Amino acid sequence: MTAGTAGLRGSGAVIARETGARLTKAAPLNAVLHWSQELLDAEGARVDAMSVAGPLAAMPVALKDNIVTVEQPTTCASRILEGYLSPYNATVVDRLRAAGAMIAAKTNLDEFAMGSSTEHSAFGRVKHPLDPTRVPGGSSGGSAALVAAGVVPAALGSETGGSVRQPASFCGVVGVKPTYGRVSRYGLVAFGSSLDCVSVFGRTVDDAARVLSTISGPDPLDATTVDRPPMQVPTALPDLRGLTVGLPQEYFPADLDGGVATALRRTTEQIQALGGDARLVSLPNSVYAVPTYYIIAPAEAAANLARYDGVRYGKRRAGPDGDIRALYRTTRGEGFGEEVRRRILVGTYVLSAGYYDAYYKKAQQVRALIAEDFQQVFASGIDLLLTPTTPTPAFKAGEKTEDPVAMYLADIFVCSMSLAGLPAMNLPVGRSGGLPIGAQLVAPHFGEERMLAVAQLLERTMDSLAEVS
Amino acid sequence: MAWETVIGLEVHVQLRTRTKMFCGNRTTFGDPPNTNVCPVCLGLPGALPVPNAEAIRLAVRGALALDCTVHETSVFARKNYFYPDLPKGYQISQFDRPLATGGSVSFDSPDRGRMQVGITRLHVEEDAGKLLHDRFRGKTAVDLNRAGTPLAEIVSEPDLRSPAEARAYLTTLRQILVYAGVSECSMEEGSLRVDANLSIRPTGTSKLGTKTEVKNMNSFANVERALEAERARQIALVEAGHRVEQVTLLFNAATGQVKPTRSKEESHDYRYFPDPDLPPLVLTPAWIAEQRATLPELPEAKRVRLEAAHALSAQDARVITAEAGLAHYFESVVEAGADPKISANWVMGEVMTTYNETGAFPVPAHRLAELIGLVRDRVVSHQAAKRVYAELAQSPDQDPQAAATRLGLVQVSDQGALAGWVDEVLAAHPGEVTRFREGETKLMAFFVGQVMKRSKGKADPKGVQPVLQERLTQPA
Amino acid sequence: MTIGLDEVLHVAKLAELAVNESEILRLVDQMNRIVNYVAKLDEVPGDRTAEPFLAGPKAVTLREDVEVIVPLARPPSAIAPEFVEGFFLVPRHGAMEDQ
Repeated sequence: MTAGTAGLRGSGAVIARETGARLTKAAPLNAVLHWSQELLDAEGARVDAMSVAGPLAAMPVALKDNIVTVEQPTTCASRILEGYLSPYNATVVDRLRAAGAMIAAKTNLDEFAMGSSTEHSAFGRVKHPLDPTRVPGGSSGGSAALVAAGVVPAALGSETGGSVRQPASFCGVVGVKPTYGRVSRYGLVAFGSSLDCVSVFGRTVDDAARVLSTISGPDPLDATTVDRPPMQVPTALPDLRGLTVGLPQEYFPADLDGGVATALRRTTEQIQALGGDARLVSLPNSVYAVPTYYIIAPAEAAANLARYDGVRYGKRRAGPDGDIRALYRTTRGEGFGEEVRRRILVGTYVLSAGYYDAYYKKAQQVRALIAEDFQQVFASGIDLLLTPTTPTPAFKAGEKTEDPVAMYLADIFVCSMSLAGLPAMNLPVGRSGGLPIGAQLVAPHFGEERMLAVAQLLERTMDSLAEVS
Repeated sequence: MAWETVIGLEVHVQLRTRTKMFCGNRTTFGDPPNTNVCPVCLGLPGALPVPNAEAIRLAVRGALALDCTVHETSVFARKNYFYPDLPKGYQISQFDRPLATGGSVSFDSPDRGRMQVGITRLHVEEDAGKLLHDRFRGKTAVDLNRAGTPLAEIVSEPDLRSPAEARAYLTTLRQILVYAGVSECSMEEGSLRVDANLSIRPTGTSKLGTKTEVKNMNSFANVERALEAERARQIALVEAGHRVEQVTLLFNAATGQVKPTRSKEESHDYRYFPDPDLPPLVLTPAWIAEQRATLPELPEAKRVRLEAAHALSAQDARVITAEAGLAHYFESVVEAGADPKISANWVMGEVMTTYNETGAFPVPAHRLAELIGLVRDRVVSHQAAKRVYAELAQSPDQDPQAAATRLGLVQVSDQGALAGWVDEVLAAHPGEVTRFREGETKLMAFFVGQVMKRSKGKADPKGVQPVLQERLTQPA
Repeated sequence: MTIGLDEVLHVAKLAELAVNESEILRLVDQMNRIVNYVAKLDEVPGDRTAEPFLAGPKAVTLREDVEVIVPLARPPSAIAPEFVEGFFLVPRHGAMEDQ
């Protein structure tokens, strides 16, 4: 779609129109929170007026609505930020636009990126593009659905504990989480700052890689970015000879969904057929990833979300007593949805006097153990890890909303890489009962290029639409 | 019962940087409200902090000047609480891994002589904004220009034993920090703030009593007053059989009273944790050593040196070194060739008066040295030199000798002229002449004064006396 | 470990969150489920440790002390719930009157 027209004079205007038509058609998915043809046309005109066509010339890109933009509202799918217009753009937005991309839409998400199904949005749930009774995954469900529906070739999401890879798996698209520190978080609304990564969805590995390459690289405005040059778009591999892939046994439990297990076995066989080696490995502390994550992320979130107090911006709700404490409590109590409030309470609890050591400090200890497991495996001659991205294909809407812990377990295979700051991605590798199944590749820190190159070869040589059962 | 007072101080000083702690807005004072603000110090969604190198450098120099150990690794932490002047709902500070610990300050206690106060820690943090309660009816106004200003917090051990001693420590602490260039340390402009912890215990016991925190003091004198008031309050409470509650009190300068804050603060559960937006602050030993090596001479060292090098009295040396600027000026005058003792008198006299009034040293040091030379050479009298000084303060480009000449202040030591004034004075005061001759010799000073007056200060007083002596001892 | 109603209310106060009477019991139940679940970490012996993990750079990069004016696409007045004569306004009450 973009490949043929990219860089042509006037192509921005045309693609803006076409994208607008697709956005209109995709409205039933409820994947988009803000878009207008007017802004899209302006983006098209801006791109057409650029003297040098950038690497993403006239590529329409959707942004998860927790990435701040001057032109469109940024709500994080929360009532508390309803109508909020940022006075500045996120670094990734500036980089995308400078590269010629057009900001097409702001997409729906679980409120403040907290959730695994995009059901926790103040503006309604997002529907799975292949089955409206199912969830697209989350929290970046809107971006995932939009790419899966073919509305845009690529979209930005954000990951704190799998929020791009998991919906990418459910929706059958490529989803790449970079190494922590590779992409600036300046302008990404913070959730769990030590985990948050702007991440990318693409219809193809190439689309995702080109976008990631554009937005990566150090940013003086984000002290947690690492001083390394931007990621390069990988060059194509002829085969996988010399590559050793590790299969961590903890990620292939006995009760793994049959379709998922079959698809992963086929992927392993394909790697071997391409000349690669596959070995069983162990990441023993990964079994603690979800509980560790559900201490650290809420603790950081409780502090990060303290700024939504109704004083400087956002929607204020005056309390019954009319004093400042009532203003805080009502603004926050009514402005945040249930899941966000739950996590703020948990995060406040685990940091509060008397509990810090038992929870937060303990979680830091286990986080270090989880990271060390990966380090040891990569030091033992393993180049990449292969796991299922999710234990099952997309589940039904409403299936897990009553039990927060059941919902958290949807992220069981994606949390540990977030805790360890590693690059990881979802690659669609087949379908089961018509629903996409994803394989997860995990690389050492700053190993994105090789990971993407391997994924690209698998993408080219496997039929991701094939039924596995 | 006799009571011992135990005081520890928490001092916040604003670091002398151009820009804020975590963003590039300037730190100037008095701009229109909410104009020196950006996404970071407004706490906008998505904004991230980046620490200011100069703030770290100044804090390290302050820590070294206070004899602290500066840690190679320290960690920024979030201190969580809600207040309308705190944009993010947390303050970025340091907690369990501060920049520096374990220092000390030597100072002269008015009660106990030379004493040392332990410095528990020095850490860096960001300031909050300003709240105005009297500008809008029923509303509090928030100005975030100050939000994010870099501060060093300096916590002392509870080593102080009286309010006067607390004040003396503060005076010394300020001297050191101003000398080291760390902070302006002006309580009036808010670049130095003091919170005090005070408890009492029966003299001779070692167990600490329940401490209270006293805030809202806007001068060192008021710190002393507030602590006097709080000490008296606690003693009265305990002697009446009550217990001291752990409260925060605010000092009211108008009434001289301390009053517990009305709100029962939520138990201070700040839920500190390392700020995930900021990697650890890592300083190399070489860099720390370089900061130590380039620290300027501190007041104590300077006092000792000036005392020894220039034979100044301990008191004079203390007065001169109290202000870094004053000491520097003194040394420049001496360096330009003036006698140290006389320079000291000038610096503690005219120079200090001008400095206290204007905060400046209008007369260049070498000009004052020249002026002191003119007095030494009896070109002008000491009195006349003060008038020349005042003239130079107005227009500092002048040469002192030329100014003295233009003002007609050059001394006359010519015998003939002196004799003329002497004869006129003696003729005008026949009664005093008689009394002198009858033995009332202390009238000599009177006659000298009269001659100076008649000569409009131009007579060289050293030349006048021999002429008077000669005339008065002549037979009538 | 179990979290009681009082504890949830205390934490809600610290977090400045109004909690509805109608949802409080459900919240206590869910908090307990979550806290019991994360207590799984108690299985990990305290002496099993690794080098502390740090996401991102090992040392912070400092910024030069140079004024940088970030142009705001819209002023504070455009985003504030209540903004008068250059100030954000909040109700005046309670603890703040002391200061």
